[in-house]
Amino acid sequence: MVSKKVIVKNESGLHARPASTLVKTASKFTSDFFIKMYGYKVNGKSILGVMTLAAESGAEMELVLDGPDEEEALEAISELFENRFNMAP
Amino acid sequence: MKDFHTKVFSGRPAAHGIGIGKVWQLREPDTTVHPKRISDSEIEDNLEKFLKARELVGSEYEKLKYIPDDDDLEEIINAQIQTIYDPEVTSSIKQKIEDEHFAVEYAIFNTLNDYIQLMENSGSTWAKDRTIDIVSIRDELIRATKKKKKGYTVKEGEIVFAGEISPTAMVQLSRKKIAGLVMEKGGLTSHAVILSQSLGIPCVINVHWNRYDIQDGSDVIIDGTTGQVIINPSWKQKEEYKRRREDERKRFEKALEWANKPNKTSCGSEFSLRANIEFLEELPRLNSHGAEGIGLLRTETLLFESDEFDIEKQVTFYSKVLDAANDHSVTIRLFDAGGDKLLDDSEFEDNPFLGWRGVRMLLDKKKLLKNQIESIYRVSGKFEKKVKILIPMVSRMEEIQAVKEIIKQIKENLSKKGIPFDHDVKLGVMVEVPSIALMSEHVAQHVDFFSIGTNDLTQYTLAVDRGNEKISHLFDSFHPSIWRLIKMTKDAADKYNIPVAICGEMASKPEAAACLLGLGIKDMSMNTGSIPIVKSVLCSHSFKEMNELSDKVLHAADLSEVHELLDDWRVL
Repeated sequence: MVSKKVIVKNESGLHARPASTLVKTASKFTSDFFIKMYGYKVNGKSILGVMTLAAESGAEMELVLDGPDEEEALEAISELFENRFNMAP
Repeated sequence: MKDFHTKVFSGRPAAHGIGIGKVWQLREPDTTVHPKRISDSEIEDNLEKFLKARELVGSEYEKLKYIPDDDDLEEIINAQIQTIYDPEVTSSIKQKIEDEHFAVEYAIFNTLNDYIQLMENSGSTWAKDRTIDIVSIRDELIRATKKKKKGYTVKEGEIVFAGEISPTAMVQLSRKKIAGLVMEKGGLTSHAVILSQSLGIPCVINVHWNRYDIQDGSDVIIDGTTGQVIINPSWKQKEEYKRRREDERKRFEKALEWANKPNKTSCGSEFSLRANIEFLEELPRLNSHGAEGIGLLRTETLLFESDEFDIEKQVTFYSKVLDAANDHSVTIRLFDAGGDKLLDDSEFEDNPFLGWRGVRMLLDKKKLLKNQIESIYRVSGKFEKKVKILIPMVSRMEEIQAVKEIIKQIKENLSKKGIPFDHDVKLGVMVEVPSIALMSEHVAQHVDFFSIGTNDLTQYTLAVDRGNEKISHLFDSFHPSIWRLIKMTKDAADKYNIPVAICGEMASKPEAAACLLGLGIKDMSMNTGSIPIVKSVLCSHSFKEMNELSDKVLHAADLSEVHELLDDWRVL
């Protein structure tokens, strides 16, 4: 199991579109993926789970990956946060 | 019995353009589902029904995706498909069928309702706006388990009236080439609105009608630029709007050619076109439409959404807006509640537009006013010379003095705390009450700029409540008296050497903008979507032409003469 803390950097927060990108990327990997935030823990491959976090810009969350490709998955997902989900700034 | 009376409704303009057609009302069937239990032997069958329904709805959404050249839409539909196949949703539905022995319809209903509730209760606007998407998926899954086929009977060129509308319904309706959309609910950030903008369907929201007001098949005109909806229009109105629709189409094509050129008339005289902004979502269009910053930032939505008029939230909001303005200035209008926009604790008033609103309310709610001014000043430190403050609904000199006094206190406090701020934030007043226009020579000596709000100035000068349907046709900003008040304000501003801008919807009409520029008003603010067209008209004429127009308009004896002058000029 690997984990990492990340910050939502895109201005409008983790709304429908970035959530969709996140789930799409996570679903390419076989590892389980969870997001921990404010004491909640949601399945990161569930778009409704991610959207109900309603994470605003600046929110901090912990990504938890568990499975055979956990390292690659964590890298790919953290990169999304780093690149603001490839959205216009 | 068919009702042929002409009825006019006004709502909030949500997507540009004019739609002319016949009314078609969207009626969603009742999808209340009762908690029905099943026996062990039915479990297998119910699970299978769910998987089939999921497959069916999923493939319907896949088909919706292929609209050429629209990535936004494709992303929206992709998110819907991910929702349909959401692993948590699937496992919850299966668990409710297998372990709790619920019938498939209720298992779907109950599972998705949990998410709908979570989204509705979340503090964020976008999450609330998204709940309609999940409601629609829920209902479609349930419908699919019943194998009922759904199809809209709307025909090409009809105008859809709906309470609220899901994005998939919107896409299906747009394929039928509907001519417009009128909604009771829905925010400016709801998918239906984003989609209608992206698909070029005129849209008006927050229109309130009762079931006797409209009938399927009635003629209707909607104006997505002004928010007007006319049921059973006269032949003349139809001709007028058809002409306007054709004009709009032609002009927009031409306007795009001007997009990147400098703001100069054909004789080289400079002007500025700025945007009226209320939502962060509007900001990306500033650059693409050529706005030079923001001439009017409305703050009511922001403040209505946050509970305590929180300083931190305001600072974040203003900073985002200033960032997006790209080194241009932003004029922040102080909270302008009252009238049609009410605070929770305000009491019912017989005449809200003549009542407790704008600066009148702010001076009674000092905490709110102080928080807002402090927030603006805190932001001004980071954006030196870019922030301006505008006081709404001023009708007396004393109100300006009172606001200045509070600004002075805030500045002293910030200095004591060592918080940096711009010492020279410009303070202006809205010229929207005739008393201020009439006293403008005096007022000009006490403020840094004027911004003329033509909508309210018209309403107060002509004594016409624009929300009152019986007289809304009398509401017309082109009335000669309004031009004269504008001229009077401009002369006073010139005499005391202060800038004057226009921030009413008047400037979004190109011929009116030309006339304003002719009067020497070089700074105009309007809805972002109107900027390209206005710019194209101003760039392609000389100041002399516009000045001749404004001279004639100023001497017009009545409204029809002004309209003739402006109409003639438009066809030039």
